[in-house]
Amino acid sequence: MRRSERHSTTANRRLAWIEKYRIFLLFAVIFVFMSVFAPRFFNVFNLTSILRMVAMNATVAIGFTIVLICAQLDLSIGTVITFAGVIGLSLKEPLGYALAVPIAIAAGAMVGLFNGVLVAKAKISSFIVTLGTLTILQGAIYTITGGNTVSLSTPDAFAVSDFLARPLLPLVTPRILLMLGLVAAFELFLRRTRTGRNFYLVGGNRNTAWLAGINTDRYLIAAFVLSGTLAAIGGVFFAMESSAATLRMGDQSLMYVISATIIGGTAMTGGKGGVFRSFVAVLALEMLYTGVILFGLGNEVKIFIAGLILATVVLYEAYAFYKHQREIGKRPELVRELAVQPAAAGEGGRADP
Amino acid sequence: MATAETKPIDVPDARYLRSNRLSRIVNVAGIYGIAVLFIVAGAILQSLGVINNFMTTRNFLNIIDAVALLGIVAAGMAFVTYSGHYADLSVPTTMALTGIVTVELLHYGFVPAVLAGLAVGLLIGAVNAVVVGRFRANPIIWTLAMSYVTMGVIRLVWVNRQIYPDVQTDNIRTIALFDGIFRLRLFNVISLPVLLMILMMLAGHFVLTHTVYGAQLKLTGSARRTATFSGVNAERVIGIAFLIAAFAAAVGGLIITSLSRVGAWYNGTGYEFRAVTAVVIGGVTLAGGRGTIIGVIGGAFVIGLMNNIMTLIGIGTFSQDMIRGAIFILVVGINAKSLRSLGRDDA
Amino acid sequence: MRRMVSMLAVLALLLAVTSGVFAAGAREGAAVDGAANLEASLAVDTSGLLSADGQPLVRVADDDRPVPTRPADPSALPQTDPLHWYDMEWAGWDADKSTIPESPRNGAIGRRIVFIVHGDHPWTTACTLGAQKVADAYNMELRALSPNWDLAVQNQMIDQAINERPDMILLIPLDARTAPQQARRIHQAGIPLILFNTLPDAAAMDYAITWTGPDDFGQFRLLARTFADELRRRHPGASELGIAYVQHAPGGSPYFARSWGPVSELAGYAPEIKTLDMQAPGFEADRTMQLVSDWLTRFGPELKGIIAADDSAQALGIVEALRRAGREDVVVVAAGNSKVGMDLVQEGRLFAITYQTAEGDGALAVQTAADWFNGKDIPMRRNLAQHIITESDVGDFYPPQW
Repeated sequence: MRRSERHSTTANRRLAWIEKYRIFLLFAVIFVFMSVFAPRFFNVFNLTSILRMVAMNATVAIGFTIVLICAQLDLSIGTVITFAGVIGLSLKEPLGYALAVPIAIAAGAMVGLFNGVLVAKAKISSFIVTLGTLTILQGAIYTITGGNTVSLSTPDAFAVSDFLARPLLPLVTPRILLMLGLVAAFELFLRRTRTGRNFYLVGGNRNTAWLAGINTDRYLIAAFVLSGTLAAIGGVFFAMESSAATLRMGDQSLMYVISATIIGGTAMTGGKGGVFRSFVAVLALEMLYTGVILFGLGNEVKIFIAGLILATVVLYEAYAFYKHQREIGKRPELVRELAVQPAAAGEGGRADP
Repeated sequence: MATAETKPIDVPDARYLRSNRLSRIVNVAGIYGIAVLFIVAGAILQSLGVINNFMTTRNFLNIIDAVALLGIVAAGMAFVTYSGHYADLSVPTTMALTGIVTVELLHYGFVPAVLAGLAVGLLIGAVNAVVVGRFRANPIIWTLAMSYVTMGVIRLVWVNRQIYPDVQTDNIRTIALFDGIFRLRLFNVISLPVLLMILMMLAGHFVLTHTVYGAQLKLTGSARRTATFSGVNAERVIGIAFLIAAFAAAVGGLIITSLSRVGAWYNGTGYEFRAVTAVVIGGVTLAGGRGTIIGVIGGAFVIGLMNNIMTLIGIGTFSQDMIRGAIFILVVGINAKSLRSLGRDDA
Repeated sequence: MRRMVSMLAVLALLLAVTSGVFAAGAREGAAVDGAANLEASLAVDTSGLLSADGQPLVRVADDDRPVPTRPADPSALPQTDPLHWYDMEWAGWDADKSTIPESPRNGAIGRRIVFIVHGDHPWTTACTLGAQKVADAYNMELRALSPNWDLAVQNQMIDQAINERPDMILLIPLDARTAPQQARRIHQAGIPLILFNTLPDAAAMDYAITWTGPDDFGQFRLLARTFADELRRRHPGASELGIAYVQHAPGGSPYFARSWGPVSELAGYAPEIKTLDMQAPGFEADRTMQLVSDWLTRFGPELKGIIAADDSAQALGIVEALRRAGREDVVVVAAGNSKVGMDLVQEGRLFAITYQTAEGDGALAVQTAADWFNGKDIPMRRNLAQHIITESDVGDFYPPQW
């Protein structure tokens, strides 16, 4: 946001303020609109249901945000979600959840490690590595399950499932609590610790970070491991609550999480954004989706509105950057002075006043 | 710290250039080297009796037939990748929308409908061109947003309907023509999609290597700032790349709609990543400015070859996925490594 | 940072204020007079309703196959044994319905029903249309929800449906194996439930009044027999007939029913038929085309027939590959009756397809709901009538439903 400090007028400052907090504004607007207009939106039951909906994607978005802050992309998160869910439920019968869940999460971490090492050490683009991992994992998921959904219908599996879904406090089920805890922990980690802040440096400019004495490779690998781990956590707990893991349960999360993270203000160029913002964005999108359903509208409206919001955000960011690029090295106050005199406006009119 | 000194930027040095003969071979032979490798492997498997009928004209024609559609879409996508803009994720919805619009308008006659379909595809490309080219939006995110919006429009307008050519018009000739986009075979050997793929490959290759635009695209893709400073209109160059990708996707959309005989929102699903796979395997790097269109078609061919050999051996669907993913990473990894050791890439 | 905190404080305040204004008010079900409703409801006749293809809308199977007894451990049997698939094929015949609520016997008219499907598809549109026709006949209020093939969204829709307190929920589980937990949640909320279309895992049947829909295994056994008869007719006295399967996408019962159903049926009915290969190329015509071309290369004249899980994209890919290789002698059968599939049957390129009415699927579910409100006897499972469409009668099923 340092860029905005160059602008001096109050109007610009207000715009910058809006830009900085736009995701919170978006959240507030959607929340108030839906509360007032959408039928059966504003009640404890529905708000809990929304929070339960975001529990998985918000957890996954934490890791994805960190990868994005490092200016990388992880396309494998969707299949990691499924992979972890499938492993967790398949191992429940022989090992019990106490062992199966850590193994599933570790499997996610291993996938992340594989991605990270190939990106950092073999220097293959993360887009390609994770696209390859995605395909490999899809095959692995089919092989492990023999092509069928994994599910548990035993009383103790249902007991776990009920426990995860039952509110401890109003609005907060254990799975939601876990998500909130992870979001808070990673927000503090990234903002308040040196290690956390280094992720921003690595993403902002890898060479500068390296020159500043940061082991950039290690941070890249760590980002992918975190992404894999958090995707696995999101997946395995969701599967436990559903008592089932379908073979494509994570597929739709990839685009969802990408959109939410970008709308939240994390940039693909790296070095910018935050976990809490992504969380708020996931929440805002989900409220929007739920509201659309409550209005009785179909998925097409959901897709269309999500597209419009994403497009507007990307367009706005791109336009702001474009304008900024054009103003580099120019002297706006001089332009404005000149613009007052019609005779000199010819030259100055080109720069946006 | 001493050994890590060259690490982040990988400055090439003479030692690398001399020692890495393998890298040079990989770099020169490119994807066709890998294709030959696969064919030799197939021939050996055939002589061992593991598979049969592999080394037949019929089989190779089949493979080419199967990858024609992918090749066309990938050849267009390659321009976007070449310009240093990764990928155009709006390709699947461009394909779907082109098909739907064409079928919807078939009652105005074959040619107007096809032209309208292509125009709609190009329109999506034009929007991408302006936003990514001029305003420099992130290509992946923007085209993703674009695909959402297009999909939203398709589903708002046509709901879940599938649109059938023979319901839209009674003109048997029009229906036959539309059916023929995919099914027409010239001299009983080459199908129309294959012919289109070859034309696309030749035209694309010509544009990249023999035109001013190609040179400008190469410079823009490798180093946009340098290009801008040397007087290249990068906005226009990138914009045209997106238009080419959209055009190829639109042609692909016509073909897939003709094949499936319905215009529907799900036509083309998955083609964005399949095309990127072919592009990247074919040697066009995501860093931009490197690779050839002939290589991209080779990439599509290798994908078809791989599927062919695996089915002939009798490998199950599930294992095929794993092998495909692993080979993808491996091929691209080797390619990246060879480029790096030859000092031609810092990506 | 201070700004952010104050912002959140404002939001929290807003939340508190709005919560005061908008109290959660779950709507009560429309009160209808029981006896009069029942009388009027029983008088409704839906047998005259037609689906878009001119067929009777509600088609209940009257020739259900006898239910075999469950072997001790089905998974120990070979995959070619029909009983290996017992738990998938016969799910629900031994369900414990003791906790299912009794019918209120107060008529179906004016009831509020939430109708949750699996995702957007032309099939689903037709299915919902059929359901709506029956609902209109009973003047029921039908609210259709589509989760777009997303399990999390479907779970949320179930929650929301429960929150609405409807008189009944009709659900196509997104997946057989996710159904038990979903059904259990609805059951615990005390809302009557009918599952339809996708046959769920046996465990789900304890929580639902019944299941209605197509008997996928039965249908494919029937299709397999038609297929075998045709193969035998074309190759009389052949000692070995090679066939291959283009499978459904993995992750659900159709993946098994539409390949292992015929395999286990043919093992007994026509043992000379041998399975050469099974692959799942997805519902993409071009990939299926390459697969079949590769099969023709690999097996050559050995390949005599193909059983496909889908009669549109997959069938087109198969037909195209056969045409290019000049192998129109290969017998192809497939599932479903889309327009594309019926056109192919009419052209003689597909030998047979199953008649699986989409409108009837939704209609049967709503009809069964009405029957339950009317206090009629509801069987453990209610199958749609089965039929195999061939060139001789394909004309009866035009215009297609989707």
